[in-house]
Amino acid sequence: MALLEVQGIGKHFGGTEVLRDISLTLEKGEALAIIGSSGSGKTTLLRCLNFLETPDAGTITVNGEQLWDAANPATQRESEKRKKRLHFGLVFQNFNLFPQYTALQNVMLAGELLAQEQPDYQKNRRQIHTRLESEANALLAQMGLSERAGHYPHQLSGGQQQRVAIARALALKPDILCFDEPTSALDPELTGEVLRVLRALADQKTTMIIVTHEMAFARDVADRILFMDGGLVVEEGTPAEVIEHPREARTQRFLANYNA
Amino acid sequence: MNETMVILGRLGAGFWLNFELFALTLLFAVPLGLVIAFGSMSRFLPLKTVVKGFVWVIRGTPLMLQIIVIYLGPGLLGWQNPWPAGGFGRLTAAVVAFAINYACYFSEIYRGGIESLPKGQIEAGQVLGMTKRQIFFKVTLLQLVKRILPPMGNEVITLVKDTSLANIIACKEIIMMAKEYTSKGLIWPLFSTAVFFLVFVGALTLLFSWLEKKLNYFR
Repeated sequence: MALLEVQGIGKHFGGTEVLRDISLTLEKGEALAIIGSSGSGKTTLLRCLNFLETPDAGTITVNGEQLWDAANPATQRESEKRKKRLHFGLVFQNFNLFPQYTALQNVMLAGELLAQEQPDYQKNRRQIHTRLESEANALLAQMGLSERAGHYPHQLSGGQQQRVAIARALALKPDILCFDEPTSALDPELTGEVLRVLRALADQKTTMIIVTHEMAFARDVADRILFMDGGLVVEEGTPAEVIEHPREARTQRFLANYNA
Repeated sequence: MNETMVILGRLGAGFWLNFELFALTLLFAVPLGLVIAFGSMSRFLPLKTVVKGFVWVIRGTPLMLQIIVIYLGPGLLGWQNPWPAGGFGRLTAAVVAFAINYACYFSEIYRGGIESLPKGQIEAGQVLGMTKRQIFFKVTLLQLVKRILPPMGNEVITLVKDTSLANIIACKEIIMMAKEYTSKGLIWPLFSTAVFFLVFVGALTLLFSWLEKKLNYFR
C-alpha cells in the first residue's frame, strides 16, 4: 500500500479551474518532484495536501486513513484538520519563520505546544523541554546551523533561514515533507546550500514532494517526476523518462526553456 | 508662597483624577478594542455591519457629547439612573464613555495591524498544527504589538489631554480646579496646568520609545 494516495483532486477559485482530477501516489521513502510553469497548479496541489486550501473534489489518503473526501463532510471538520495536517510538513517559498523567535525556538515551538496538550505535561515539563531542545539542536546541526541556534531570523541569510524552516518542519516528524519552490526566493549563490540539504534528506529516504524549478536538481535527486500544466498531470515517470525523453509535446516545450 | 503650594496641591489632586480616568480608560479600552476589531473583521456580515456602524457613530460624534449622553441619557429617558451619586458616579460614567470611544479608535489601529501581518505567518502556524488561539498568542500577537506601538502612542497621548473633557459632567479634574481660581481673578493656575500635562506626556513618550526599543530585537 502506498503511503500517500491522492485521487481525483479538483480545485477552482471562482471560475478558474486550478486543479483538474489530480491523482498521484507516493511510496514511503520516495522523493517526488513536481515541475511545471507558473500557474500550472503545483503550489495549489501542495496547499491542498496541507489543508491550507480545501479541494472541491477528490480524496486524500495517508497510510490507509482517509484524511479528506470532498464528498464526505465528516472528513472536513475544522477541529480535525489540525491533527490531519501533522501527517504533512510544508516548507514555504519565503520561509515564513517566526521573526520574534530564535532559530532554536522556531524549531521547538510547535512541538512544545503539542506537548502541552498531553495530560501528563505538567508533571514532565522539564524532561519534555530538554528532549525537544536536544532534538531541535540535533536538527539544526544536521542543517549545518549549530552556531546559529541563538540567532533571530533577520540575522540569518536566506539560505540559513530556509534551512531553519526545514528543521522546523522536520521537528514534528511528518510522514510526508512538502517543499514549495524552496529555493525560488534565494540568490543563486544560496540555492546550493539548501539543495544540498534536500539531497541529504533524499539520501536518508525522507518521503518528500518537491515543487521546483531546478531541473538539474529534480533529475538527480527525485525518484519520480510529475509534470503539471493547466491543472493537469501531463506526464509522470522517472527522471530519465520525463526529463531526458519526454513523450508529451507540452513537456518538451516546457523543458526546452531549461535546456540552455 | 504658602498659598501657591496650596493651589499647586489642589491642582495635583485634580490631576490625580485625570490620571485615574486615563488609567481606567486604557485598562478597559485596550481589550475592548480587540473585541471590536475582531467584530469589524468578522465574516458574519450582520455582525460586521453593526460593529462598523457603531464605530462610525462613536468616531463621528464629539467625545464631549458622548460623555453627556452616557451620564445624563438614562435619566432623560426615564430609566433608573445607573450611576452612583457624587464624584464616584461621575467618574464611572466618564470611564464608560472614554473606554467606548477609545476602544473604537484602538480597534481601527488593531485592524490595520492585523491586516498588515503577512498571511504566511498564520499559514506557517497552521501547517505546524497550531490552533487559532495558539497562532494568535504565540505567533501574531507580539508582531502585532510591535506594529501598532507608534500609532498607539499617539492615541495614548491624545487620551491624556482628552481626560479634561470630563469636566463637562463636573468631574473635578485639573482644568476644572484651575478655573475655580480663574473665576476668583487668579489666572496663573490655569496656565500652570500645562506643566502637569507636559510632564506626564513626557514620561509616556519615554515609556513608548523604551518599549519600541525593547521590541527592536526582531524585525
